[in-house]
Amino acid sequence: MIKQQPLTLVSPVRSGCLTQLSDLLRAIRTNLEHNQFPVFEAIGTIHYARLLLLNSSSHAKPSKDSLVFSTDYDGSEDDHLTDLATKMSGVIDDLFSLCEGYPAEGERNTASRRAFLAKSRVKSDAFYVGAPGRTLKQIREESRLRDFIWTQMKEPVWAGKTATEVHRTVRERVLAKPEFEWVKNEVPGHEIKWVYFVVLALAAIALGFLNYWILISIILIVVGWLVMLHFFYELKDKPLGLTPSRISEAHIRALEEYEDLHNQNQFSQLIPMKPGKVRTITVNALMLYARFRIHVEFVKGKLMGIPTIHFARWLKVDGGRQMLFFSNFDGSWQQYLGDFIDKSGWGLTAIFSNTENFPVTRYLFWGGAYDEEHFLAWSRYYQIPTAVWYCAYPELSIKNVNNNTCIRQELVKDLTEAQAQVFLKRF
Amino acid sequence: MQYSRYLLLHITDAKAAGAFIQKQSDAITSVTDYPEQRCLNIAFTADGIRALGLTEANMQNFTREFREGMTTPHRQRLLGDFDSSAPDKWEWGGINNDEVHILLMLFGNNKDTTLAYYDEIRPQLNAAGLKELRQLDGQTLPGNKEHFGYRDGISQPVIKGSGRKGLLQNQINAGEFIMGYQNEYDVYPDTPLVTQPQGNINLLPEDAAGTGHKDLGRNGTYMVIRQLQQDVTAFWTFMNGQSKNADGTVNEKESRKLAAKMMGRWPSGAPLVKWPEEDPVLLFPNEDPAKFIDDDDFLYHDNDPDGLKCPFGSHLRRTNPRDSFEDNDAKESLRLTRRHRIIRRARLYGEPYAGSPTNLTPEGEVGLLFTCFNADISRQFEFIQYTWANYPKFKQLYNDPDPIIGVREQPAPGTEQNFTIPQEPVSRHITGLQRFITVKGGAYFFFPSITATRYLATLMA
Repeated sequence: MIKQQPLTLVSPVRSGCLTQLSDLLRAIRTNLEHNQFPVFEAIGTIHYARLLLLNSSSHAKPSKDSLVFSTDYDGSEDDHLTDLATKMSGVIDDLFSLCEGYPAEGERNTASRRAFLAKSRVKSDAFYVGAPGRTLKQIREESRLRDFIWTQMKEPVWAGKTATEVHRTVRERVLAKPEFEWVKNEVPGHEIKWVYFVVLALAAIALGFLNYWILISIILIVVGWLVMLHFFYELKDKPLGLTPSRISEAHIRALEEYEDLHNQNQFSQLIPMKPGKVRTITVNALMLYARFRIHVEFVKGKLMGIPTIHFARWLKVDGGRQMLFFSNFDGSWQQYLGDFIDKSGWGLTAIFSNTENFPVTRYLFWGGAYDEEHFLAWSRYYQIPTAVWYCAYPELSIKNVNNNTCIRQELVKDLTEAQAQVFLKRF
Repeated sequence: MQYSRYLLLHITDAKAAGAFIQKQSDAITSVTDYPEQRCLNIAFTADGIRALGLTEANMQNFTREFREGMTTPHRQRLLGDFDSSAPDKWEWGGINNDEVHILLMLFGNNKDTTLAYYDEIRPQLNAAGLKELRQLDGQTLPGNKEHFGYRDGISQPVIKGSGRKGLLQNQINAGEFIMGYQNEYDVYPDTPLVTQPQGNINLLPEDAAGTGHKDLGRNGTYMVIRQLQQDVTAFWTFMNGQSKNADGTVNEKESRKLAAKMMGRWPSGAPLVKWPEEDPVLLFPNEDPAKFIDDDDFLYHDNDPDGLKCPFGSHLRRTNPRDSFEDNDAKESLRLTRRHRIIRRARLYGEPYAGSPTNLTPEGEVGLLFTCFNADISRQFEFIQYTWANYPKFKQLYNDPDPIIGVREQPAPGTEQNFTIPQEPVSRHITGLQRFITVKGGAYFFFPSITATRYLATLMA
């Protein structure tokens, strides 16, 4: 299975070049909007790309102005970096020659470009994929398959037929088309790996039998940590305390200018971490926990119950002093943030309460995001404008992507009448 | 009240306008009044409150949606106001129209009473420093019909603690509709506080959330008005065309059924979930229609999980999904849906006309003054309009906007606009949807308490 991976490059901007870089980003954005920037598309493995500036004048006040380039891509990082350094070399030169340490004009070649990109990488602490294993190629193929079958469904010939008859006829029509030859290739399913939870539970029980003091100690450490966090840290926290109406107009306008142009949107947030080892350890433990659940449980298109996210990532930048959060999602900001509160308020609270000015929390998981007005204001306050955003399939929601894979898988199987009915309801 | 005249007013002299508002504030109809003859209510745009003299610092405490109004480029995208519905083509409230400041709403138990009331008010306007920009007349039609022929305004939230009775699913925390009370998140909604003291501030109550500031919003709300012209001819011509007999003649029953599938209720108001095949008022002509037409006691999750009775994409199932919100379970869905409800009070304008497959040509322009109340315009009205109506990916759908209020007149090249009617063995797909409504005007208003109205009148005094 070809995996989807996050690439994040962070490069300090050369002094005096910030305006030039902003202008360049603006020009790329305009070209992209007018379909005159084919380079992301040309790579062939990029689902999403974004460019933005970590600006030292933003609310988070990072120590340096930096350019961020990020992609969600298929395959190995090695191949991806090579692709960028070769197929996109002109754009890479234009962008990064305005950053510190980029090879001088006479010294630029594939190897030196690649080395620079590799040096600028920042690893993600956690990365979520809404359709695991689905390459860009597969997503597009399956979309065409769905459209083809949907067109067949519109014919007035199906009344009175059983679902299995319709399914069989549709399959014959698909397989008669050479362009759908690939349908016969099996693709892996993505089921929740319950076995991990069972193993964990058994391990805990076994530990309880063998030496219950270890188990009790672990529980005591976790509970003790939360109590310590509450009394020595949370009680001293300073929340932002603003309601949405109090956030600067210009700030919101800059964000909204690039929102709701398609049925999908982007979200970028840069937030200072709360100082101290305790907060760092807490957030690292939570990231480990997030990685575990993303790997075993959030494999069917929902991140903690949120059904609209294509990709999301968390990482630390600026020497660990800032948290960067990116996501690509379906629908509007209001819907997305509402989903955050409604469906995974506690999870978000636990992670983001380790960053500055988060609404008041209690014992890490309580309060926080559930303080709706203050949470929405905080989210907007630390959101930063995405300068350039590329999406390879703006016409598909993540539900569409996952539904299309189900269509493909069910099409080639022999289905019972009930299964065939489920299949036909996908259209 | 049967007939209404809304006056769109522009303030030319704030001091005189303040005195007029002060005088009229005694006439404002409150929730505890039940007048039989006539009513008066008043609401303000952000420009209006500014014109009355509220300082910019205090203006900032109003929500941004309200301050910016309905016509910013971003809001245009959210609301789907493009082509003929674009704000530069509006007749009022748009970017080429005079600034609306005040909405003075006059109601009467019939047209004569309302017009007589207007005749009393009109001579006072000039001296009150108010210029009348436009009149928006509206009425309720027999059977509460709107012009496409459907009974309107059936499902309404009931404010918890108001003493009014209602279905459990419709009982919503007061803070969703009135500022100064807890909302469905159990927090106080963002409310316009007076952080920079001015005017007779002692009139105002303190902020319920405990900030110590005086609260201009308490017991007030936001009011959304959109004038939607309805193209009754196009609506029924489309339905007739998609359901005609083999010989090309109109199939009334199928046309009515298709339209009902798109609406989510039958013209009488009866819900599709209970009556998927035909309007029960027609099925049972000898029975009292009352038991069918106001029926709001239904849910979707268990009765119609696949949308075979009421399609997922229908106007009503989208804009109030009840216990079938996304793919959550029934209980969770109801909890989430409660956070996106509005109180609607539509008024009809133009010839009183209820369309049908055979009755589809009203005289002159007809339409609906969509009006709703909510404490959070972004999470309630705008969310419903964008996420549930305009957004074609609702639930598992691909290219299905709300067929009644979400279709684009000129979609982007290559974009399909469809309506899916779940059926077995295969669903029916209606393609090439048309837009049947045109936005002709609209604005966000602050609908203050009587106390806050009196306070606003003191700003220039």
